[in-house]
Amino acid sequence: MTDFEPKIITFLCNWCSYGAADLAGVSRFQYPPNMRVVRVPCSGRISPKMILAALRKGADAVWVSGCHPGDCHYIEGNYYARRKFTLLKELLEYQGIEPGRLHFSWISSAEGVKFAQVANDVIAEVKKLGPAKHFIKKTPGEIAA
Amino acid sequence: MINYTENIRKISSDLLKSGKVDVVIGYKSGTLPGVNEPFLAKTPEDADKLVWDSQCRLNLANYLTHRKDKVGIVAKGCDSRNINTHIVERRISREQVTVIGVPCTGMTDKTRLKELAGGDILTLTEAGGKITVKTAKGEKTADKNDLLQDNCIRCLHRNPVINDIPAADPVPEVNTTRNNDAIEKIEAMSADERWAFFDDLLSGCTRCYACKNACPLCYCPTCFVDESRPQWVGKGDDPVDVRTYHTLRAFHCAGRCTDCGACEAACPMNIKVRLLTGKLEKSCYERFGWEAGMTSDVRPALDTFTTHDPEEFIK
Amino acid sequence: MKIYHIDRESWVKGLAASAEVYQLVGPVREKDDFDFKVLDKGQMPDLTGTDTRLSPKALVFPKSEIMMTFSTDPNDPDCNIMKEAKKEYPKRAVIGIRPYDARALQILKMNYDNGDYQDPYFLNAYEAITFVGLAVNSPSSTDFSTSCGTGPFDEKGLDVLLVAAGEEGDFYAKILTDKGDAWAKAAGFSKEAGSDVSTRIEAMKKTAEEAISSKIAFDKIEKKTVLELFEADHWENTAFACINCGTCTYACPTCWCFDIQDENFGTKGVRIKNWDSCMTGLFTLHGSGHNPREHRYQRTRQRFMHKLKYFADKYGEGIMCVGCGRCVRQCPANIDIREICETMNK
Repeated sequence: MTDFEPKIITFLCNWCSYGAADLAGVSRFQYPPNMRVVRVPCSGRISPKMILAALRKGADAVWVSGCHPGDCHYIEGNYYARRKFTLLKELLEYQGIEPGRLHFSWISSAEGVKFAQVANDVIAEVKKLGPAKHFIKKTPGEIAA
Repeated sequence: MINYTENIRKISSDLLKSGKVDVVIGYKSGTLPGVNEPFLAKTPEDADKLVWDSQCRLNLANYLTHRKDKVGIVAKGCDSRNINTHIVERRISREQVTVIGVPCTGMTDKTRLKELAGGDILTLTEAGGKITVKTAKGEKTADKNDLLQDNCIRCLHRNPVINDIPAADPVPEVNTTRNNDAIEKIEAMSADERWAFFDDLLSGCTRCYACKNACPLCYCPTCFVDESRPQWVGKGDDPVDVRTYHTLRAFHCAGRCTDCGACEAACPMNIKVRLLTGKLEKSCYERFGWEAGMTSDVRPALDTFTTHDPEEFIK
Repeated sequence: MKIYHIDRESWVKGLAASAEVYQLVGPVREKDDFDFKVLDKGQMPDLTGTDTRLSPKALVFPKSEIMMTFSTDPNDPDCNIMKEAKKEYPKRAVIGIRPYDARALQILKMNYDNGDYQDPYFLNAYEAITFVGLAVNSPSSTDFSTSCGTGPFDEKGLDVLLVAAGEEGDFYAKILTDKGDAWAKAAGFSKEAGSDVSTRIEAMKKTAEEAISSKIAFDKIEKKTVLELFEADHWENTAFACINCGTCTYACPTCWCFDIQDENFGTKGVRIKNWDSCMTGLFTLHGSGHNPREHRYQRTRQRFMHKLKYFADKYGEGIMCVGCGRCVRQCPANIDIREICETMNK
């Protein structure tokens, strides 16, 4: 699995974590290019449909990052998100999805170092798991060739 | 049970006569033994068709959604909790509804009835806590308690929690602790076993959507399965599409599901879909101390928060 | 017309022999009910159930069927051209289909093969099948097939009619068509039944038909106009309990509506034909957002108007229902076509 480069769909809150990614870049903190970033207005915007859509398209993991509790630009969006993710993570793991496929974090726009660190941790964990095997909508045999 | 029927008829007839309600939602006898049909009584004469027995499996709160008139509704424990949910979610206003509360002793499971009969059921009678089914081959009797639906076996709230006119005195609650055996059995499996378990569980699904249409919680103007921009889920029998549908359907019920069992009762393929909603119901209780539909003034689990909610999984 | 007597031993041997030439399909136990499946080598069809839970229509009209494939890759010479999906239609013998179910597939064929349209997917599958039906000796309490122009011994849609002969596992096999004859030859059945067999089968047929207590009548529906039936004031009441799921339409052997979907996988894609149900709001939702069947009762009305009136008027071959009783048994809300037919027929 050493040459396995996972694809990780990363939903970043516009106000915090996206800024943190920017800061990590500007500051030249190193992390591998396995992320495919989707900028969202708030972690509270994330619907389970989006996370499943990523898995269905073959993402090896999904990472959602928002503002620290109390710092939400919309006051309370990330509090709702926290409850949603708690249940979604439990429901997906209950069905047999490995815990390492779903990652959540709170990263403020000042935490460029934390961003690079979490990114490295997530990538390392997913690399260990290998390619995703569940919840992928397979190409029908008729056109698979 | 006969008592229930007589009381329900009397109460409904009085309500309709007095003009306190415009209609009463209840059950009438079905055309098959062991099945009753949801029924809208509009006149005191209609009220004489209302019945109640252990074959009232659907959740009548489902028929309340978007009604504009004053409604009387016959409700067992779980139905009453969904009426609360409807009020909280503003599907109906409290002033509009008059709940005729039925203390419930559980509903029979259609598969268990079929197994008891071992053939085509010609008649079904219920008396003194016993159910008797007659087939061409003969007659069989069993304790109703041995024929209950899975959700009724673990029911914690048999008496309606919102009850304007009780149809009978409360029944004793039989369970005091939460029984999560079915869910815990699955949790104990390995991840791959769990994936395989659900693949098998859902393999018969025809996507008829009886589970979501029987559910009082499913009232979105456009269901996610019907959305096309983007389309979240394919409409065929691909196992991943089927899994996506069931996962999202269950999630939409998270923190709102009262475990009334209407989904399983409705499923023509006898898929135990409660094994998904049940997990979320368990999580809601363990993580947020939440039980759906107990009052009509608290927002459901996913529509509220506390600043100290668990977050050990967040980096 | 030949009638063979098949004893248990020749039945097993015959099926094995015909399996050399035909792909055999029959009812098998699936979880807690029966379903039609392709039989494995040596596997016997389980003929102990009265009906399969889902009708056998999936044999000619699968739940999901890939019709075409396409590519959107500009480097592909066939870019943006729909190509018919490659399919094989092996010669099949469907063992143990009930006579009214076989009749139902004939009804489907009226829609899929008429002056205006021929559906190659349906027709290829249908033509490849030899229908070896099994007469119903003890009809279920929800069977009303005799009112619907078919019945427990109906021969219309069959190539062979099997009748359980009374002795343990023995059958009479009445050969009805050349296709049926070819299957019987492949199976090696040759022992002709005694001369009194026709009388015996007739007697069994009479007993079975008389055992059906459930009846419907639609004589007055025939005479009423479409508008009279459509605008009748009972529909909202009739449909009150209906939750508008697809249980009835998917269990029904004569419901044939489908939806066409394109699914993309990168630059490749497929065009799929899926079962659809007139019970859903999406079924008639226009691109404009308008929905002519916005309310639930309108969709319930559509189903019964189509089955009992529109179809009958269009083809003049009776109603689009064979009285198998699946929808009656499986409906979670007790919407009973027999009752609705009675209301419409008043």
